[in-house]
Amino acid sequence: MSQEFRISSGGLIDRSKEISFIFNGKKYTGYKGDTLASALLANGVHLIGRSFKYHRPRGIIAAGVEDANGKVQLYKDSITEPNVNVTEVELVEGLRIESQNCWPSVNFDVGGINNFLNRFFPAGFYYKTFMWPKSFWYNVYEPFIRKAAGMGKASLDPDPDRYEHQYEHCDVLVVGSGPSGISSALSAAKNGARVILAEDKARFGGSLLTDNVTIGNKKGDEWVEDSISELKSMPNVIVKKRSQVFGYYDHNMLVMFERCKDHLKNPEPYTPRQRLWYIRAKHVLISTGSIERPLIFANNDRPGIMLATSAREYLKVYGVLPGKNPIIFTNNDTAYETAIEFKANGIESIVLDTRKSSNAGVVQEAKALGIDIKFNHGIANTSGYKKVKSATVGELNESKNGYKNLTTIPCDSIFVSGNWTPTVHLASQSGNKLKYESETDTFLPNQSRQQETVIGSANGSFTLKESLTDGFSKGYQISDEITKNGIETSIPISDEKDFGSHDKFWCMPLPNKKHYKRFVDFQNDVAVSDIQLAVREGFRSIEHVKRYTTLGMATDQGKTSNLNGLQLVSDLEKKIVPEVGHTTFRPPYTSVTIGTIIGREVGKNYRATRKSPMHEWHEKHNAVFVDAGLWLRPRFYKRGNETLQEAAKREALNVRQNVGICDVTSLGKIDIKGTDSAEFLNRVYTNAFLKLPVGKARYGVMLREDGMVFDDGTTTRLAENHFHMTTTTAQAANVLSHLEYYLQVVWPELDVNVVSTTEQWAGAAIAGPKSRELLQRLFPEEDMSNEGFPFMGFKELEFKNTIARVFRISFSGELAYEMNVMSDYGEEMWNEIISQGKDLGIQPYGTEALSTLRIEMGHVAGSEIDGRTIAYDLSLEGMLSQKKDFIGKRSLSRKAFTEDNREKIVGVVPIDKKTSIPEGSYLVENAKAGFPNPKLGHVSASCWSVEYDNPFSLAIIKDGKNKKGEKLFAVSPLKNKIIPVEIVSQHYVDPEGKRVRS
Amino acid sequence: MLEIKCPYCGNRSQNEFAYGGDATVKRPELNSEISDQDWDHFVYYRKNPRGNHLELWHHISGCRQWFKVLRNTATHDIIQTMEMKENP
Amino acid sequence: MKKYSVFSLVKNALNHHKDWEVAWRDPEPKKEYEAVIIGGGGHGLATAYYLAKYYDLKNIAILEKGWIGGGNVGRNTTILRSNYMHDANNLFYEQGMQMWRDLSQELNYNVMYSPRGILNLAHSDAQLNAYARRGNSMRLNGIDAALLGREEVRKMIPFADFTENARFPIFGGLLQPIGGTARHDAVAWGYARAADDMGVDIIQHCEVSGFDVDNGKVTGVQTSKGNIKTNKVGLCVAGSTSILAEKLNMTLPIEAHVLQACVSEPVKPLLDGVVTFGAGHFYCSQSDKGEMVMGGDLDGYNSYAQRGNLPTIQHVLTEGVALFPNLSRLKILRTWGGIMDMSMDGSPIIDKTHIDGVYLNCGWCYGGFKATPVSGLTFAHTIARNEPHELNVPFKLDRFHTGHLIDEKGLGTKTWIS
Repeated sequence: MSQEFRISSGGLIDRSKEISFIFNGKKYTGYKGDTLASALLANGVHLIGRSFKYHRPRGIIAAGVEDANGKVQLYKDSITEPNVNVTEVELVEGLRIESQNCWPSVNFDVGGINNFLNRFFPAGFYYKTFMWPKSFWYNVYEPFIRKAAGMGKASLDPDPDRYEHQYEHCDVLVVGSGPSGISSALSAAKNGARVILAEDKARFGGSLLTDNVTIGNKKGDEWVEDSISELKSMPNVIVKKRSQVFGYYDHNMLVMFERCKDHLKNPEPYTPRQRLWYIRAKHVLISTGSIERPLIFANNDRPGIMLATSAREYLKVYGVLPGKNPIIFTNNDTAYETAIEFKANGIESIVLDTRKSSNAGVVQEAKALGIDIKFNHGIANTSGYKKVKSATVGELNESKNGYKNLTTIPCDSIFVSGNWTPTVHLASQSGNKLKYESETDTFLPNQSRQQETVIGSANGSFTLKESLTDGFSKGYQISDEITKNGIETSIPISDEKDFGSHDKFWCMPLPNKKHYKRFVDFQNDVAVSDIQLAVREGFRSIEHVKRYTTLGMATDQGKTSNLNGLQLVSDLEKKIVPEVGHTTFRPPYTSVTIGTIIGREVGKNYRATRKSPMHEWHEKHNAVFVDAGLWLRPRFYKRGNETLQEAAKREALNVRQNVGICDVTSLGKIDIKGTDSAEFLNRVYTNAFLKLPVGKARYGVMLREDGMVFDDGTTTRLAENHFHMTTTTAQAANVLSHLEYYLQVVWPELDVNVVSTTEQWAGAAIAGPKSRELLQRLFPEEDMSNEGFPFMGFKELEFKNTIARVFRISFSGELAYEMNVMSDYGEEMWNEIISQGKDLGIQPYGTEALSTLRIEMGHVAGSEIDGRTIAYDLSLEGMLSQKKDFIGKRSLSRKAFTEDNREKIVGVVPIDKKTSIPEGSYLVENAKAGFPNPKLGHVSASCWSVEYDNPFSLAIIKDGKNKKGEKLFAVSPLKNKIIPVEIVSQHYVDPEGKRVRS
Repeated sequence: MLEIKCPYCGNRSQNEFAYGGDATVKRPELNSEISDQDWDHFVYYRKNPRGNHLELWHHISGCRQWFKVLRNTATHDIIQTMEMKENP
Repeated sequence: MKKYSVFSLVKNALNHHKDWEVAWRDPEPKKEYEAVIIGGGGHGLATAYYLAKYYDLKNIAILEKGWIGGGNVGRNTTILRSNYMHDANNLFYEQGMQMWRDLSQELNYNVMYSPRGILNLAHSDAQLNAYARRGNSMRLNGIDAALLGREEVRKMIPFADFTENARFPIFGGLLQPIGGTARHDAVAWGYARAADDMGVDIIQHCEVSGFDVDNGKVTGVQTSKGNIKTNKVGLCVAGSTSILAEKLNMTLPIEAHVLQACVSEPVKPLLDGVVTFGAGHFYCSQSDKGEMVMGGDLDGYNSYAQRGNLPTIQHVLTEGVALFPNLSRLKILRTWGGIMDMSMDGSPIIDKTHIDGVYLNCGWCYGGFKATPVSGLTFAHTIARNEPHELNVPFKLDRFHTGHLIDEKGLGTKTWIS
């Protein structure tokens, strides 16, 4: 019969909507409103997977994010996802899940042999062995271990889902919708605060969904429903379920993920799978509740052993009986409510209580119901390999280190309760230094570090009355500091069961002379003996114990194990718990999908793409693009089957012979205005700018304060107090920040304003011996002669219906102009130039030809200005003014910068005039020398000289100034190249620079 | 994510700003005699305190103004932000 | 010290592991030591070990303000490599790589050195050329490296984005085959155990509050466990260097910055070696446990808080998914931060100081873990001989005066963007 552990009525699931799913190849059904966990339990399935190290059978132990064992591989449509927690996945059609960490199956797992050998694998055993022979670690052992580890399988495909981000500000963020959360949200919202209430589960209410209480005159779950409706109706409130606040960062920035899609039967096509919320909250109310702790006893990890309150949650919320013949094992009163609830559903249980007695009301009620209670009892051991079958129980002796007698009680489940751990993660992430409360054996928040207040059981208020009082009053106080409305909400009367205090005894002794494993961390197989070993070996700090044993480092992050581990260490070291301290709570509270964190910046949107106004033209003309920072620039324009090299040669040659046009829009452009502009430039550039005439451009070099060359470019004086600066594409943003820094921070007295105009102008370089004629055609009225428009001249001209800025500057070394028009006219300008230049043989050229042209001219660019070179190295020392001070000048007197054999740029030509020298090669005297082979310098840029039709390179080498004419070797061991070369001038073509002035 | 109060624009999230380092480092005057040690300290040496640190931030995705922030490097708490001409 | 071996493991197993001895003692400090190493991190522990082992100093103390291995040696992404461009770095770290190879046997502690390779991806020809410059530099120093094309890279990481959809396509990469990882905690513990075995006193929870200096010579340190006399003090306190240096009236070319790292939930083997993304700052490897271990940029402002903020993690993971689109579906399990000593040229400082007997080991930026053995060795040499080992001659403090900087990235003094 299907769902034989489902009770016939009750719970919050929708029995009219049956949903099927597949687990390990077998079909099961559940209902809408189930989680995978509740649906599996409804079908009596407890064995979910195998543990990490010993491959022991493991089942569900909890009903929420704290569950340590219920991890499966999930398949839906074409997607697979590893390590999915069955307690967190809501049941929808089409789910298929498989057990992880087992082979060939969860029922018969070969890895289970580890369990029988477990005494050879104590904590940290791998540090002590696998060392011989030497290479076996990485050749033999490690590959084996890597294969054995790892839990689920990652998909190899891209994630088909989309994720979104949302940014919110609020007055009060309430995390958790239990009694204190709802009451504080109500009270703050009614007082006019902007409130966000976030609940991680699919239902609001927290403990109110499982506890038998009344608030006002309503049952707990009814009060939840009414309160949430009220909150939803208020315009100043955002209420979110399926939303986990997982991180508390600086300045009250909280981060939350919302599950938007996976629970939907038919999601809209653009529904994001998850949404990440960055929430800047003026105040945070942390009402995250508490998590039940397991008790520790021999073989306490068998499927069917579960936390007592989780068992009650399965019953109350899902109508599922996790066992029909349970033993309830507790050291406190809360588990009695589970016994009572099961009894109400016709299930008899035995309660084993480690305490000698309890007078709490809930215990009296259980007694009155006739529930079998055995005080002063513990579980010494359990049996049942894939599901618990029985427990060996006994009365504890006086010192509680052994048993007076042992009997075996058959059972199909054990519901355990070892006290409560407040969920203080967010407070701790905020910087709240926790304090230890020995009465309740809990770490509680202490002094708030940021604007956070912890309320309810997360703050140690374990009764409903306390939680409600806490919630309503803190909600009011905190909201009123913000809104000052003074609207206070009265606290409703409540009724709940009476609970007393817990037993400080939680780790059961082993039966005499037995060495059974008593697990503390279920997923990572950390047992009491491992912690004992760690302490024995001197790992005293809790951080050492954690790292040595891996306690709390599994995917559940120790939510159920950390406190027990800590208490064990304190017992072993005979210290009190606060002296041992706790490990650091770090975000995220629960694991977060990477896609959620990154949002929409995926694929092509990983980074913005910057395109010039002429981009479409380039595309139409077969441009092959290259990334230049965020810009896409044409690298070459492919004709037929041309290779990159062939195209670059053709384009460059055409510039040398006719005329070419190159898109230079991406160059940084900065507009500089103000009465001190010339003075400012004079300080920024190494060369003089004070006396630059209006209408003239000048090449300038700037340094960093450490003396390294920072950037170069031309700056034009448009008017007395108005300049147009160009920078390299790569440094455009940095140069602007640099200028702003000096203007605002260092020399605020200067009257200068700078603004980036990079995107305002479309730029085209027109280069080649026929460029003047082309310019003349574009501007027939203008005097374009060498005298009328000399080298480094500038003209602002009318072009079509707009203004063109034309500069006579050259990067190619040819007679050349650069023309800028407003971006909107860029394409028009480009088309006009192309059409006017047609019969002159105009061709567009890309960055590859541009490189060729500049390399053979000996002009430096980014591969030389790499942040490690000074002006001398680049033969730019002539640009350093001796007459004035400038940024970085003082650094140039450093010893290393003035050494006689300082590196300097040279030209390099292969002796055979045929073999290209790969960039990144080094120049050496002896290609066959041993290691390390002393390097003279490196080849920074290479091209095929179109002027001489042979390879040519630039290199920066030691004592470059004295190396001309020397024969060396360019070596690239990576490419198996040894090329005999001759050192020549860096200016391979037109060394006197006649062409640009022609 | 830090929340920084730009003196010109108000509270904004950190991703609108670029960091600029120690604001107490003063660039030596141009054209002045500067000892090697003073220059080295200007270029490379930093007090690097644990605690309050007067530092520069640049509102690059906003008003593009540089300004000063007094921030605790141990807690990230911002004590004060101010225009360049102001001092804490 | 009882040796660890398969036999000792079996023998102890039969006795239910009751007889293991402590890995290191927990002694009270003596009144006086020949040398005091401040900082029980990887470098401090290694320094003490090599001082005892090779330099004949037997009476050595390590003073650690918290617990050993709690700083960056326990917080890094465990990457080992020597793929540098500058000879000084190249030769220094390569010596380290040679030491890693034998470290488990040397320490009798399995530090899990695993040379699964480190691959730096290039996303343009220009970047590939820059890597060629680096790789050729390595090869000329006798260090193995290979330049891979796109197809060779695809064979190694087929799940990387080789589609049209990649914003910055993969052009190729530089592979250092013996690059890899080691188990970070084991390195600290292995050195601690081996140093303790040679008589080094490891004193935890002992914070240094001041120095006794007489006539320009150090004579002792003041600690939370009393004053300790010594004539040699080595500072190995990355992340707190400036704070201790201030007690010696020293300012340093260092800034403290937080670097975050994160791991995903464990998955079956996906990525064998270490891969770095070239169109951003992202590196990734997979631990033996199956977690994807990832890191990238600094948070970008001076910080001594061992915590960072989410936007940096977001930024790093964005780069991760740009490289490996399938990572999107994995989950982040843990994030954490460590404090880096960011030096002004990106390279470390191992040197004497202006105070006789005080030695400085700092400025490791985010590359200190891989240097642990060689840093320990060369620093031990510097302390014992009062002069640098030939490998750390270039890492002197006065390079910030002479200009003999070792700047791998060419970014200059803006430490927060390097």
